[in-house]
Amino acid sequence: MSARVPIDPITAELFRNAITAIGDEMSLTIYRTAYSGVLKNIMDYSTAVCDARGRLVAQGLSLPGHLCSIPVALQAALRHFGDDIAEGDILILNDPYDGGMHLPDIFVFKPIFSGATIIAYSATICHHTDVGGRVPGSNASDSTEIYAEGLRIPPLKLYEAGVPNKTLHRMIERNVRLPGRVFGDLRSQLAACEIAARGMADLLTQHGAEGVRALMNETMDYSERLTRHCLLELPDGEATFTDWIDDDQIDHGVPIKLVCIVRKRGDAMEFDWTGSAPQVKGAINNTWSYTAASSFTAAKSVLSVNMPNNDGVFRAITVIAPKGTIMHGELPAACAARGLTGFRAADCAFGALALLYPDRVFAASEGGNTGITIGGYDAERKPFIYVDFLSGAWGARPWADGLDGNTSMFANMASFSVEVIEAENPLEVLDYEMLPDTAGAGKYRGGVSLRRTWRMLADEGILQVRADRQTHRPYGLQGGGPGAAGRNVLDPDLPTEAKLHGKLTMTLRAGQVFRHELPGAGGWGDALDRDFTSITKDLRDGLVTIEGAARDYGVVASGNPPVVDEAASIKLRAHLRTVRAPLPAVAFLPASSEA
Amino acid sequence: MSLRPMEIRIGIDIGGTFTDLVAIAADGRVLTRKTASTPHDYGEGIAVGLSELLAEAGGDVAEILHGTTIGSNTILEGKGARCALITTAGFRDVLEIRDLRMPRLYDLHWTKPVALVERRMRLTVNEKMRPDGSVAIPLDPASLQAAIDFLRAEQVQSLAICLLHSYANPAHEDAIAQAVAAALPSIAISKSSEILPEIKEYPRTSTTVVNAYVQPVVRSYLTALSARLASLGISVPLKLMQSNGGLASASFAAAQPAHIVESGPAAGVVGGAALAARLGEDRVITFDMGGTTAKAGLVENGEVLRSEALEVGGGVMTGSRLLVGAGYMLKLPAIDLAEVGAGGGSICRLDAAGAPKVGPESAGADPGPACYGRGGILPTITDCNLVLGYLDPAGLAGGALPLDAAAAREAVAQYLAKPMGCSVEEAAFGMLRLAAATMMRAIRAVSVERGRDPRQFTLLAFGGNGPLFAAAIAAELGIRLVLIPPMPGLFSAFGLLVGDTEHHVSRSLRLRIGATPAPNEIARVQDLLNALTATGTERLREDGFNGDCSAFILSGAARYVGQSTEIPVKLPTTDAATLLSELPELFAAEHERTYGFRAPADEPVELMGLSLIARGIPDSPRLPAAIPPAAARVPASRLAWFPGQGWIETKVLDRASLTSTTLPGPLIIQEYDATCLVPPNATASLDPFGNICLRLD
Repeated sequence: MSARVPIDPITAELFRNAITAIGDEMSLTIYRTAYSGVLKNIMDYSTAVCDARGRLVAQGLSLPGHLCSIPVALQAALRHFGDDIAEGDILILNDPYDGGMHLPDIFVFKPIFSGATIIAYSATICHHTDVGGRVPGSNASDSTEIYAEGLRIPPLKLYEAGVPNKTLHRMIERNVRLPGRVFGDLRSQLAACEIAARGMADLLTQHGAEGVRALMNETMDYSERLTRHCLLELPDGEATFTDWIDDDQIDHGVPIKLVCIVRKRGDAMEFDWTGSAPQVKGAINNTWSYTAASSFTAAKSVLSVNMPNNDGVFRAITVIAPKGTIMHGELPAACAARGLTGFRAADCAFGALALLYPDRVFAASEGGNTGITIGGYDAERKPFIYVDFLSGAWGARPWADGLDGNTSMFANMASFSVEVIEAENPLEVLDYEMLPDTAGAGKYRGGVSLRRTWRMLADEGILQVRADRQTHRPYGLQGGGPGAAGRNVLDPDLPTEAKLHGKLTMTLRAGQVFRHELPGAGGWGDALDRDFTSITKDLRDGLVTIEGAARDYGVVASGNPPVVDEAASIKLRAHLRTVRAPLPAVAFLPASSEA
Repeated sequence: MSLRPMEIRIGIDIGGTFTDLVAIAADGRVLTRKTASTPHDYGEGIAVGLSELLAEAGGDVAEILHGTTIGSNTILEGKGARCALITTAGFRDVLEIRDLRMPRLYDLHWTKPVALVERRMRLTVNEKMRPDGSVAIPLDPASLQAAIDFLRAEQVQSLAICLLHSYANPAHEDAIAQAVAAALPSIAISKSSEILPEIKEYPRTSTTVVNAYVQPVVRSYLTALSARLASLGISVPLKLMQSNGGLASASFAAAQPAHIVESGPAAGVVGGAALAARLGEDRVITFDMGGTTAKAGLVENGEVLRSEALEVGGGVMTGSRLLVGAGYMLKLPAIDLAEVGAGGGSICRLDAAGAPKVGPESAGADPGPACYGRGGILPTITDCNLVLGYLDPAGLAGGALPLDAAAAREAVAQYLAKPMGCSVEEAAFGMLRLAAATMMRAIRAVSVERGRDPRQFTLLAFGGNGPLFAAAIAAELGIRLVLIPPMPGLFSAFGLLVGDTEHHVSRSLRLRIGATPAPNEIARVQDLLNALTATGTERLREDGFNGDCSAFILSGAARYVGQSTEIPVKLPTTDAATLLSELPELFAAEHERTYGFRAPADEPVELMGLSLIARGIPDSPRLPAAIPPAAARVPASRLAWFPGQGWIETKVLDRASLTSTTLPGPLIIQEYDATCLVPPNATASLDPFGNICLRLD
């Protein structure tokens, strides 16, 4: 260890700005050059600069779900290659059992040299539209082994000293459905790495290799200090929260237990997932890094300060996820659809934090996004793959209603334009709108459910859906009720109507209609305390029906537009308060069904 | 419209605090006025300024050019019309669901902007078009009648109509508009197929709704303003600056006010473009720094860089424009401005872990910086500039606003220097460097992030604080030439005077370009081109420009098949066949320029849209030959602090004392509305137009 040179605070802050800007410029480069809609519209990618040991120094604006993924992946690659990394090498991997997250997420790293020494790495991770395997999109939730999920790339060199590794290029080309798109997106990852290399070269000119190293250390130390400072301000305590995933699509109807224990002591916090279910057959097993991302997302949302994402944060907040559990799967567990478990783990981590800090945390949101993939061949036998993610209801907050039609906290994703879906795929979209009486009731209500409905226009295609919270509803807090369960329906309002399972892979034939209803989000506080103005607005906006107002809020209303009878409502509420059971702190079921 | 000898043209720029007026007389004289804005009735402040200006200038007014925040203020204050929206059944919530994304991560307090049309006022009709414009479900008269009954019962003032795929076939929107107009003639109607005939329902709905929401307000504002001008004896055309930097007639602005929502900030960049053209500068970055924010724009080969959308009320860009959703989306071309929360009033502080930070919190005008002596105790950027001697301790605006240097020093000492363990000067200078770094991000956003190298650009700095920081920023970015235009504090109002009348029109299509385009494809593109040209020609004619004084700039939005974003490509011809044969190479070249690579030649290209700028060419030059500098009373010198040199006696000049002779820094050039710092590594001279030229080694 070299002696620590004192760094003046202005220089340190300028360096932090500069290296954060590099991460952001990488992110913008991918945004602007990516081929796939998954990257562009959904921003399912992340960028970062790491130090020579693979520690995260600065992360670009990105998907919360990727928070811890890059250092884990880079360190795996470094274990493989040791000193055998040269100028012009590009490292690549996607194997979840060797640094990766799930197969569609391909990591690309570029070493940044000063003379003969590696100073840093630029790092990118992008969700690719398809990496082969048994279904288009490579994201079925009913695969039972990683071997069915697509091309597994261990840490390898995509370029060696600037020369493309043709063997690997051809292997990729032959194993994915849309190689043009995969290589197009890989090219944008390379472009982002190049942007970072240029930015780092400027910093090396300014500060020299030793200076950059010291400043990167200070950047991480600063985050640690800031995180610990925030943690110190919170009361100590320990809380355990338990929640369930509906099932894994293989063992239908068998709920999967998630347990999150949060321990906060002094200036440190720990998320311990011991007690969670063993890994499952279906493809929803998390890697450790993904479980960690859920934990950090919850922690960062509850801590008030905008901490830079880097190794310093990871030093103050630790994550334990025992191997062989759904929170840390082992080979050959399938994991393509582990996004679901990540969202649900975030819910669970938020739940544990809510028990510790009830005035800071929201009730359960819709349970994360629903993944929809419809793929097949159009009338001219050209392949199409439509991948979309629906989300949109936030849990009620201790100070306000949950948001309607807003992306999940765990994934800042956009939904596809209906017009674009129809213009580019043999699909017709029949509706996309909010559903009444789906929000968890409360003094503050949860966000409402959204539904979207598709009709297949091609002869046939494969429909895959990864949805949850269809039996285990989003919980309410402090007396608030749960949100409505989600639903998948075939041929709604037709004689052939059928309720479908939450996770499914099926053939959709010409003319068949598929509808997805997202779950509503949980409420916060006693619904009988909700003010009449808010209820009147929801009634008039058609988000609560007159029956729903009576049932969930003890409110008497009538007419069109509806008018609340305040005197009658006060009376009804007084009566309800005397007959109902005490309200639980956490509610997975509505009060009426528990009575 | 050439100016007769005694005629003057007047630019009026309304800001939150001040209304700026700049007049150019036919003889080249430039007159200025700054009056307090009167938010209860902006016309009042304008009238005060105008009568003073006219009294001084004499002569007749030839033209009034106006930049106004009426559109954005109406939205931000929620004071728009009582609005309803008619949309396709099943898609009632497009406006509110937006694209789901939020601008802030990990923020449980995030609240979406309230939809401009609440859910109960969003009506649906049974109908649907297909993407190719064919009818999937015919328009149902019963649901339309129900909607009309509702509009009547609710006394709706303004109606937005946005149906799915109306960009491909507007027939149902037209039928609804006709039926509503027949039943309720007083309702203002905004049709999405007219405002923005482009694919993607959310941006189109949002844009149409914004138009409907502000339209009655803007219309009555313009009517009242015209009446006030008439009472001053002014009956000449009133033209408005659009967000895209073009001028448009008041009648167009009243019909499609969505185009003038971000009227204010555009004018400075337009002024920059005109100045760049005059000076023969091909590449200019404009840098406008005021009291709370700094904005950067880009001018290349005489054209301003535009973005295809903007967000009203989105707040200041913090770090990146990837984070969208904070405001109301307008998918209309707008001058691409990157804005950061760093201005003279930005507060400097240390965070919980001891790191120094500048802004985005601002002390504003009240209490203002510590040196204003109005109760502000926290150090700001202005305090730091004062502590280092860059600003005149005698005060701003020629002493009209006195400054308390001791208070500034005390604030910097207590809140910055002491906790950081450094001298007051080092702390103040460090904060200025941080502010400069923040502002550099805005400049990088319009250059590096767009594939441009800032070192190849000239920096044009204006706004009250721009000239203080310009040299330092240029040095950091490797920019060698900085221009400070005359009247830097009033440059936006000046920009109004040099804008061109412009109309931006666009259409969606989706065409994969093969090696030999089919005749029906060529015909389809030709039809679109003809339609665009006809609309552009018609709108220019309404503004008094005939074919001889019109110019058309055509561009296409293209991408490689499989890519999900388009990039704009300038197209040299309105002949469809030629256009289609040349497009793939033009696109590949632009792709390479923007992203640094092109795909293999066999990767097919898709044309996704066409846009046309129709520009009216004035028959006389808009820019005077030179703007003679105004003399100001300034001290001969004062002590100023520079790193590595400490306190040195630094010469102070006014602009009028500067000549073409190059003077070495350090220097301070002090004017009524701004102070320009020439650090030791820079030199200063005056060019023939009247710009201060700072050169860096």
